[in-house]
Amino acid sequence: MNDQPPPESTRRGDGELPRQLSPELAPVAEFLQQTLPFNELPMDVLYGTVDRIVVQYYPRSQVFNRDTLEKGLRVVRSGAVEIRDSDNKLLDRLGEGESFHIGGLNAERGEVQATVIEDALCYLLPDAAYRQLRENNRKFDRYFSGQRSRRLRRAARYQPEPNTMMQEVRTVMSTGLLTVGTEDTVQQVAQTMAERRVSSAFILEGDKLRGIVTDRDLRTRFVARALPFDTPIREIMTPDPETIQAGDTVFGTTLRMTQRGYHHLPVMADGRLAGIVTASDLILAKQDDPVYLVQHISRQKDVGAINDLVSGMANLMVQWVNSGMRAQQVSQILTAISDAITVRLIQLAEEKLGPAPVPWCWAGFGSQARSEQLLGADQDNGMIISNEVREEHLPWYQDLAEFVCDGLNECGYIYCPGDIMAKTDQWRQPLEAWQDTVRRWATSPTPDAVMRVSIFFDIRCVYGSSRLCDKLQKTMLKQASKNSIFLAALAANALDSKPPLGIFRRFVVDRDGEHRDSLDLKKRGVLPVTEIVRLHALAHKIPAVNTDERLRALAADKHMTIVDSRNLADALHFIQHQRIKHQCEQILRGEKISNFLNPRDLPKMAKEQLRDAFTIIDEAQSAVRQTYRAGLG
Amino acid sequence: MWKLQLRRRLYARRVAGTALQQSWQAPLPSTSRDWRRVSFLVVDAEMSSLDINEGELLSVGWVEVENGAIPLESARHYLIKAEKSVGQSATIHNLRDCELSEADTRAEVLQRFLDAAAGKVLVFHNASLDMAFLNGVSRREFDAPILMPWVDTLLQEQALLQRRDTPIKSGDLRLQACRDRYNLPPYPAHNALLDALATAELLVAHASHRSGGQEFPLAKLL
Repeated sequence: MNDQPPPESTRRGDGELPRQLSPELAPVAEFLQQTLPFNELPMDVLYGTVDRIVVQYYPRSQVFNRDTLEKGLRVVRSGAVEIRDSDNKLLDRLGEGESFHIGGLNAERGEVQATVIEDALCYLLPDAAYRQLRENNRKFDRYFSGQRSRRLRRAARYQPEPNTMMQEVRTVMSTGLLTVGTEDTVQQVAQTMAERRVSSAFILEGDKLRGIVTDRDLRTRFVARALPFDTPIREIMTPDPETIQAGDTVFGTTLRMTQRGYHHLPVMADGRLAGIVTASDLILAKQDDPVYLVQHISRQKDVGAINDLVSGMANLMVQWVNSGMRAQQVSQILTAISDAITVRLIQLAEEKLGPAPVPWCWAGFGSQARSEQLLGADQDNGMIISNEVREEHLPWYQDLAEFVCDGLNECGYIYCPGDIMAKTDQWRQPLEAWQDTVRRWATSPTPDAVMRVSIFFDIRCVYGSSRLCDKLQKTMLKQASKNSIFLAALAANALDSKPPLGIFRRFVVDRDGEHRDSLDLKKRGVLPVTEIVRLHALAHKIPAVNTDERLRALAADKHMTIVDSRNLADALHFIQHQRIKHQCEQILRGEKISNFLNPRDLPKMAKEQLRDAFTIIDEAQSAVRQTYRAGLG
Repeated sequence: MWKLQLRRRLYARRVAGTALQQSWQAPLPSTSRDWRRVSFLVVDAEMSSLDINEGELLSVGWVEVENGAIPLESARHYLIKAEKSVGQSATIHNLRDCELSEADTRAEVLQRFLDAAAGKVLVFHNASLDMAFLNGVSRREFDAPILMPWVDTLLQEQALLQRRDTPIKSGDLRLQACRDRYNLPPYPAHNALLDALATAELLVAHASHRSGGQEFPLAKLL
């Protein structure tokens, strides 16, 4: 009799809770319901969970790590928490509604530490309750085992502060320099280097830098050659070493050093030696930075491997933008990446096809030439071949062009819709033929031709003999600057798309279609600026192609006032920045990248700034109309 | 704390054998004990009027603070059967007469409260009002005040601002205004339990900041 189960009516159902949660605590449940992954829980389970929660408050700088006694999932109710790995690298920054579990994070990526950076109220779900929820709810569990959402969020929030790669070199260089005179003996210099424990010394004459000597030089140019100890140091130094400016970015410097194989670079400030950077100063600092991507690209063995490498570029861009990188820097890096891909593809083609029969060069046009590429750029390129080329050589160039253009297309740089590509015959010619073409365009411009080829006037050598590229550019500048009809045609082109402002500075948006209520930032903002600036640059024979550099040169040569030049630069940067930010949001939402932005989505301040930017473009267009189209209407 | 013990002794005869006396049996924490090792019961009550002579208790909510944190399983909320009609204040508390008629009697709720409060330090935001009502109920039941140690977060906040020479504007000591200073979120609703929870969070934030990670004796909160 005693073993009888209790009667049905007194037994609790499986899901029933030990105590009915007070409905007065509903706000806590409602808060949880709006956070991941608690939103996956059925209401009754959620209410049961609230009962298990312990509310905790942590003042700023409270730390959680492996040794934290109370284990469990902590949901941030207010405040902010930072998660860093054992190298103190920032992994994530959590705000309201986000959660972390130190044990779980450690299982995933070694020693992890969470620090409260803003006084935080947290809901702690103790480990036992947390595990029970994971065991009983598949969707809830999947969130913690699934990596995707976390990676996405990390991309969006990743904030290396400050971005080391965009710092000026002066912040990382060493200033404790060893300087010696040109007549000092090798032995004296070596002794001083040993005393000071440095691996390089600078040879000065007065305060002029004459050369640099490194450990390696002592080894290869002195010991190996068994020279006498009293050899003057100037005989084994590297004379007139390449230098960089203290204001250059760490990124640019690192790129240069790795590409050319330098280990030491003297840093100049105001024309005088200011310090030195070594490879280890720079490269060892960061592992997940663009410079690594560029370096890795140059080591890939086939197109597929390159494509794999760059497939994560969109997420990387989101990281860079969120880390405070500015639009020009982002596009500079994206261009460096597409340059690296192009170069690697050419090298791969050369491995297959053998060396080039005669000198040649691969030229990038348009945004690639200007170093202003963004994600989703199509390819605009051509080949300039030395005039010595003979008929039987031509297949080599055609094969190479096809391999490279196809490879670029595979890596996401789609074929140019206007066929401005080295694989089309028209865009793969000997220098003389190019020069003829330029003269023809300049003397009898048709509006259609001008529009089609205007980006061709932004040209930069990406690979090969840059002399060929320079010569072509010289012809271009000479022809363009002296030909007012051609300039007028270019001007018409630059005036073609108006900034989207109506009367009273209202935004003019598309009325219907796919991009209803939106405006095209590229077509209405970026293109007009680049076209206006290109026109001025060509008219005044300025060889620079980057829009910022052109603007600086125009102001320096007094073809434009400093105010106008800066205003245009600011307008371009602002619009580009909005465009990039918008693209980042699209990437995070998993949408296709576009240049269309609904001005209503912008904060008030940004809306005003966008209006200002468009007004500046409008004024610059008026100036173009007066200068180049006077009398033409 | 000894004063309290003394007063309890004065009432000992009167409350002998009652729930109040039982509650007093539990040992009280030493005032030198670190606040994290003290058990608190954070209480909020809703009344039909702010006037002690007219108003009566409508609902009581409480939550515990243990080890410097708030276990939500300790949260309780009770409606008290009204003797008069709720009238005007219903618009504030969302408590209608029909709900209250299904509620517990005052004696039942008092019993539960005394069980929960035994050996703990009470916490209120603006204690004088809630204590007046609780003592009123207790006097009617046991002919004695409840005589328990209490912390008033409002007074603590006021003293803190005064020590910092911060001018205190009207409204600066309201519960949410105090919470804002600690980056604590606003609660959308208004009921005795949520206000008790809100006060508990304020207590924890207040004490965490004042202790600065060091020992912080209960005495400094009383």
